[in-house]
Amino acid sequence: MSIETTLLPLAEQRPEPVGRRRRRGRRTGIRVVLIPFAWSLAIFDVAVLLWVFLGSFKTTRELLFDPWGLPASPQVQNYVDAWNSANLGAGIFNSVVLVLGCSLATILLSAPAAYALSRFRRPSAGMLTVVLVLGLGVPAQAVFIPLYVAFDRIGLTDSVFGLFVIYTGLAIPFTVFLLTGFFRSLPKELEEAAALDGLKPGRTFWTIMLPLTRSGLVTVFILNAISFWGETFFAIVFLRQETTISVSLLQFVKTMQYTGARWDVLFAGIVLVLLPLLVVYIWAGSKIVEGIAAGYGK
Amino acid sequence: MPESALADRAETATAAPQRGDASLVKNPESAFDASRRRSYRVFVFPAVIVFVLILVLPTLFTIASSFTSWSGSGAMTFVGFDNYARMFRDPKFLVAVGNTFWIVVGVGVLVYAISFGLTLVLQNALGRKAIRSIIFFPTLIPGIVISILWGFLFNPDGLINGFLRIIGVVDPPPWLGSSLIFPTILLGMTWLSVGMYTIILLSAADRIPPEYYEVADLAGASALQRFRYVTLPLMWDVVSVTAVLWCITSLKTFEFLLTFSSTSGTLPDTGIWNLAVYSYAAAFPAGGVANFGASAACGVIMLLLALVLTILVRRIMRGDDIEY
Repeated sequence: MSIETTLLPLAEQRPEPVGRRRRRGRRTGIRVVLIPFAWSLAIFDVAVLLWVFLGSFKTTRELLFDPWGLPASPQVQNYVDAWNSANLGAGIFNSVVLVLGCSLATILLSAPAAYALSRFRRPSAGMLTVVLVLGLGVPAQAVFIPLYVAFDRIGLTDSVFGLFVIYTGLAIPFTVFLLTGFFRSLPKELEEAAALDGLKPGRTFWTIMLPLTRSGLVTVFILNAISFWGETFFAIVFLRQETTISVSLLQFVKTMQYTGARWDVLFAGIVLVLLPLLVVYIWAGSKIVEGIAAGYGK
Repeated sequence: MPESALADRAETATAAPQRGDASLVKNPESAFDASRRRSYRVFVFPAVIVFVLILVLPTLFTIASSFTSWSGSGAMTFVGFDNYARMFRDPKFLVAVGNTFWIVVGVGVLVYAISFGLTLVLQNALGRKAIRSIIFFPTLIPGIVISILWGFLFNPDGLINGFLRIIGVVDPPPWLGSSLIFPTILLGMTWLSVGMYTIILLSAADRIPPEYYEVADLAGASALQRFRYVTLPLMWDVVSVTAVLWCITSLKTFEFLLTFSSTSGTLPDTGIWNLAVYSYAAAFPAGGVANFGASAACGVIMLLLALVLTILVRRIMRGDDIEY
């Protein structure tokens, strides 16, 4: 179907001047409603972030009874409490280790596979890619019991390493999906030239092709890191004594029901969780956005 | 240009030589292809092995165990479709099915309506870059944090009601009361998701060559018509891929519901359960015996739903792929 036929209905509606004026009115009508809506959505997001940040320096009393005011005296103690008594320090430490380890391991596993699947022209490659990408559709609830039981037998429940193995496996479909797109855009001549120079496919991949997709790799690394940073389901299923940020936050929310609401400490904890994200976003925001757009675009 | 349907994309990724290719019959495999054939397995194996161990085998095992009665330790006894039959008689499960439907379809329609609207006006608005990057940020925030904040905002004495009182609402609604809590949660999910889908749709719209818009303007199209006849058809395949993504991700919603728990301890009220929470609650109940069979059966239902939704969405949204 060509674009001309798509536009045909438009061309047929030769508008009379009156009609055109009415339509222009409708156009501004839409914009008048939607542009303020877009701005208020953005302002709401920023306001919530600022408000959380300010709130983390207030007392709980101030938070509840003077939500709009500035803190009378900044409560830095909130952060100390969040780090220690809410056990967020341990959670942040484990989550950072997990995020870095899993994102790296996922790329080390998936990049060679994505490369071979997208460029080696093997008869099985098409089917195998489909199977791997179909893994995107498998909900956690369809795999967690066997994993829990199996990991329990080999002593990997309640361990950060166990979680590392699971996250890395779960991230393979998405990573292969994105990276095949990146690898497919590379020119074929490079590989042929490298082969003429006597490079084996492995060498070609590590020294030539992989560096060429650096931006894609960074994007995938960040996207995976962000999704591991906040993962909750497997973390609460598998961990008992050990903790990640999501488990620590969740436990703190639960204990508040018995020990009284310490919203101020919770807010400090939330700021600690958000800060790394904000830093990454300011540093590589455009990369993230482009990566996501490229992944689902053409 | 490859269609970005997942399967099609994979097939075009590996342009297999035509079977009737004469050159293939005549020439034996080149050294270049032969060395690649030998290293193919080394490249692909590690990922495939981990994938099979973490995703494929557990899925098969879950399907098998959904036909058994099993508490994790001890014996598995085969009970046929008993778990499924019991589940469909369980009012908690039926509520969870309804809620899952509301999340996938209700929030989905809302998210797409808002994302389309934003795409329509942001394509050439002032400050679009700023708006774009700001509304995307919530997507990155862990679901658990968003839901804690959402709960706090909508507390009886929270910020939202405080604001409503300021503008003169005497008796603001009890957002977290049993009748309103689920709509409040749906609203939160919409807020959380709009950024991501707006970003994807906007960048798809940005790839549309400007000539088409000029033609549309010459024909005297309004903003809505431009969207309807130019933007939408030319980004239709992206809409359809992201719709599949939406179904798969929203089906698994879990964190967002978890923090809205009543005083009963770890699990939220059964009124706001979806299938993901139901499955978790069956395996790790607040009290009582773990029922891994029921949990697995619910997991299988979710798997089937993901499959059916994917096929349905692709089928419904199959449009002509427009080359440009």
